[in-house]
Amino acid sequence: MSVFYGLYSAMLVGATPILLAAIGGAFTYYAGIFNIAMEGMMLVGAFCAVLGSFFLHSWILGIVCSIAGALVMAGIFVLFAVRLHTDEFLTGIALNLFAVGLTTFLLRDIFHVKGAFTDPRIVAIPAVTVPFLGQIPVVGRLVSGYNAIIYVALAVTVVSAYVIFRTSFGLRLRAAGYNAACLNSSGVQTPAIRVWSLILCAICCGLAGAYLSLGSVRLFAENMSAGRGWISLAAVILVSGNPWGVGIISLLFGFFDGLTVFLQGSAIPTQFTAMIPYVATLVSLYFYSVRKRKA
Amino acid sequence: MMDGVLIDLQHISKVFPPATVALSDVSVSFRSGEIHALVGENGAGKTTLMKVLYGLERRDRGDILLRGAHVDFRNPREAIAAGIGMVHQEILLIPEYTIWQNVVLGAEPVHALGTLDIRTARERVARKIDEFLFNLDPDAPVGSISVAARQKVEILKLLYRDVSVLILDEPTAVLAPQEVGQLFLELEHLRDKGHTIIFISHRLDEVLGLSDQVTVMRKGKAVATSPASRLTKEELAREMVGRSVVFAAERSPAEPGEPVLVAQELTVRTTDGRDALDHVSFQVRSGEILGVAGVEGNGQFELVNAIMGLSAIAAGGLSVQGVDLTHADILARRRYISFVPQDRGRMGASLPASILENAIMTHHILDRSFRRWRGLALNYRRAIALTRQIQDQFDVSMENAAAPFQSLSGGNQQKVILGRELLLEAPLVLMDQPTRGLDVGSTEYVHGLLLDLRNRKKAVLLVSADLDEVFTVADRIIVMSRGRLVADLRTEETTREEVGFYMLGGKDAVHAQADA
Amino acid sequence: MRKQTLSGILGVLAALMIGGIVLALQGFNPFSTYGALLQYSLLSASGLSAMLSRAVPLVLTGLSASIAFGSGLNNLGQPGQLVIGALAATVVGLFVRLPAVALIPLCIAAAMVGGMLWSGLAAGLRRAFAMDEFIVTLMLNFIADYFTLWAITYPLFDPAALSPMTRPIRTYAWLSQVGGINASVLYMVAATVLCWLLMSKGVSGYEWRIMGQNRLFARIGGCRVDAHYVRVMLVTGALAGLAGGLMVMGGPHRFVKGLGANYAWDGVMIAVVANNSIPGTFLYGLLFSMLQQGAIGMELVTAVPSEFIDVLQAIIVLVVVAGRVSLNLMFDRIATRKKLRESLQ
Repeated sequence: MSVFYGLYSAMLVGATPILLAAIGGAFTYYAGIFNIAMEGMMLVGAFCAVLGSFFLHSWILGIVCSIAGALVMAGIFVLFAVRLHTDEFLTGIALNLFAVGLTTFLLRDIFHVKGAFTDPRIVAIPAVTVPFLGQIPVVGRLVSGYNAIIYVALAVTVVSAYVIFRTSFGLRLRAAGYNAACLNSSGVQTPAIRVWSLILCAICCGLAGAYLSLGSVRLFAENMSAGRGWISLAAVILVSGNPWGVGIISLLFGFFDGLTVFLQGSAIPTQFTAMIPYVATLVSLYFYSVRKRKA
Repeated sequence: MMDGVLIDLQHISKVFPPATVALSDVSVSFRSGEIHALVGENGAGKTTLMKVLYGLERRDRGDILLRGAHVDFRNPREAIAAGIGMVHQEILLIPEYTIWQNVVLGAEPVHALGTLDIRTARERVARKIDEFLFNLDPDAPVGSISVAARQKVEILKLLYRDVSVLILDEPTAVLAPQEVGQLFLELEHLRDKGHTIIFISHRLDEVLGLSDQVTVMRKGKAVATSPASRLTKEELAREMVGRSVVFAAERSPAEPGEPVLVAQELTVRTTDGRDALDHVSFQVRSGEILGVAGVEGNGQFELVNAIMGLSAIAAGGLSVQGVDLTHADILARRRYISFVPQDRGRMGASLPASILENAIMTHHILDRSFRRWRGLALNYRRAIALTRQIQDQFDVSMENAAAPFQSLSGGNQQKVILGRELLLEAPLVLMDQPTRGLDVGSTEYVHGLLLDLRNRKKAVLLVSADLDEVFTVADRIIVMSRGRLVADLRTEETTREEVGFYMLGGKDAVHAQADA
Repeated sequence: MRKQTLSGILGVLAALMIGGIVLALQGFNPFSTYGALLQYSLLSASGLSAMLSRAVPLVLTGLSASIAFGSGLNNLGQPGQLVIGALAATVVGLFVRLPAVALIPLCIAAAMVGGMLWSGLAAGLRRAFAMDEFIVTLMLNFIADYFTLWAITYPLFDPAALSPMTRPIRTYAWLSQVGGINASVLYMVAATVLCWLLMSKGVSGYEWRIMGQNRLFARIGGCRVDAHYVRVMLVTGALAGLAGGLMVMGGPHRFVKGLGANYAWDGVMIAVVANNSIPGTFLYGLLFSMLQQGAIGMELVTAVPSEFIDVLQAIIVLVVVAGRVSLNLMFDRIATRKKLRESLQ
């Protein structure tokens, strides 16, 4: 039974950063932006979260800082891709490189370490116990005791689905992706919609980054996003942006991510278990592509 | 009903970088409660002028006055707020959304927190539909309705926002003759209710039949403004073109030879199982021009794709000079077919590549003299020679062959493409809307080329949405409607009305006439 | 072409200025920093030699990315292709007994084949299942990374070593110094020349280029774009694999953990800045190599962390690419004003 709970827990832990980044990516996907900078935004968010938590002694401020950091990245994206009409793909690549370089540089410069920084003074995001539901015998362990951000991720999913499908902003957001010229001629400033989608993406990626560095662990390591931004991009493409679909896919990937940790102690070499999430992405892409071709 | 001047455009000038003068000192005024036609050839500046008024383009010089006050719309939203709306030539709707979603987009009724008030939106849209007698279902997805209906949705979008001035850009380009009549009735109804309609067109009959005032534009200048009642078609054409235009085509009678292209029961299926082409059979003989007429979207594009090998043929057969090309790859077909596609930039050329690189395409595969070094390297001397030949033979004005293709004007681009394709000397020439976007001079040139090809015993398949062009050039006409070939006629034995009748599906057209 | 060079030079200078400001804000002296950068790379014999060696993977992966992007393919798999190529060369170098004159070409061939295999896998998945190579090559990077890590930690592990690495390859496979410069540099130059010939003079280069600009037009013109797709993937995979092989043969002579590190992503970056031009890739490869090599010395002299170079590189990319677009807009606006004046006379 504890195996089950262990796997379930690992699944949630693995899914959360991917889910958050993917929801952010969904916003930009619907807006018709080819946004591949989620990886960089997450990484910067993770770094800023540690920065904020360490110097300001508060995990809340850590989250604020991570979102701020991600917003700066989004701002650079807006400046280059929206204002200066630079190719979105190139801007995204450059931003990701910039994120790696900047965080590694600042890691040396501010904390004077190479590789990773951890310190007992970093305040981590706490776990949350749900008052009544948590007490229920079997189900209780499924809904209570998890990190606060995991609950936030759930809320973010629900709220984004509502925003995208039931508000006027959502109608305009999707229109920007379907036919930006049409939206323009309908009297809406399409660039503004795009900027908003990037802001929302940054907030989500900032949260994802904060979870990476302040959630289950309390450290920042070089390049700690480890390709999760790319996996979340794959998730968005696989479900064409739908937040509910994103949720399910993220759980799937999270499961495989968690499986990796789970199999650490077994006879299978760690390198092969580490491959699992990436192989899982390939397999999902296979099913997606084959189905698309049949249609 | 002629009220005072509503919109006054004064001395408008606009240049498109790097070197195209779109508008040169244009002054026109529009009154309320009138239908005012803006006519001219392709490239005369009519659309650009309206885009400047509407806020889609910035003018470089000049003033715009609305009811006597200076205005400067920086974007369409401001224009719409002031009561001016424009329906573009290409329908700008979102096929995935329903009619009401498309109409309210940008002006949605909302509850708290921005939640869509779906009920109010649908009700308001339905009310407007009834008020203007449009006959649409608010919940229908726009992707599923006809082109004429989509145009009405575009107009509805503007009426929903209470505009009093409607600018329509070539609205009849996508309509069959009978649908045009229906549209004109609705426009006159709007005019009688006090709206102002600015109607851009290059079709003389329609312009004279519908409008109160006519302004003629030529090469970026406004050359004449006059009430429609005082103009004849000939006078109008002369103002548009600047010289007498001969309306009847001069053409020696056709002497067709053997069949070159034979299509039998051609069937092409779309991804959702429908028949984009339904058992189409016809022949094109050498020394003959076959025109494919039809309202755009009825299978012509699919036919072109099927012949070129871009779409798979599900049933039936295709052969050129007896060679079965039904399932041949594109290269095999290129040995027999010269192809001038409808969308230059998308299918006919690579805009960022140099003129030379565009000129040698396909030649470099079919003609060994273009390769050196055991076929691995390009023979640039040969390439330059071909480019020179195209330049001389087809009268292309260009600086040097290494310049990017997109630096050429539209007409010159088309000439390079024509030159490249025709110098392949293939037995079948397939042309899809070859004169779209070209000025009168270039259009005449292309028509001359077509007739020359026919005299040299090539087989020419001409797909054109321009009925005038088809009647000018083609010896025979086939009509496509909903993927089927519904008529196979000789040009001299038919009329525009009869072809229009077939364009709407023959029997179905009778019903439409009864309802209108 | 002139516009490209101009925007490139201006962009680099502007980025250096911005970098200088960043340095100043952190309390460092920009001039002595940049001076040290130059001194430890271009301006010293050992620095120059190291810089050229370091340029090998940068230029080769840059060529791989340039050709791929220029042909319309999203091959982002250089990191994975590089390590698989390196592994292949290492295996051959460890176990095949041949004299140098045969072993060196064999190792190089193995490296290229290794890279081709990895990129070919992505190409195959695309052709068979329509799986987009963008995501596939990215995922394969991680898989290759972990796979090679396993290979050098278990089966090929050097028992005498303290961290994951293989034994040294046979000395017959080592690339030696030629006049002070490592032989791998010569291979890099040869590859650059061949790529340039291919892309500018070759029929394939022409068709690939057109395919990258407008795939539909190339298809309609009779180019066999599907076959070209596979060929481009194989060639670009081979280039990245070659980089990996040369790194092993010219450098530590064994596969050490962390080989390749960031080099291959730098290759993508170089292709982006160079706008997929072959000469541009070569020059920017040398530039970034100079910056990276000089950074080590710079850190010794001025205490600026060498990671600053990563930031500087990204700034260069952003500024050059954005500058290119802005410069085009500016030229257009000047041309407009000129034509307007002419037409109204």
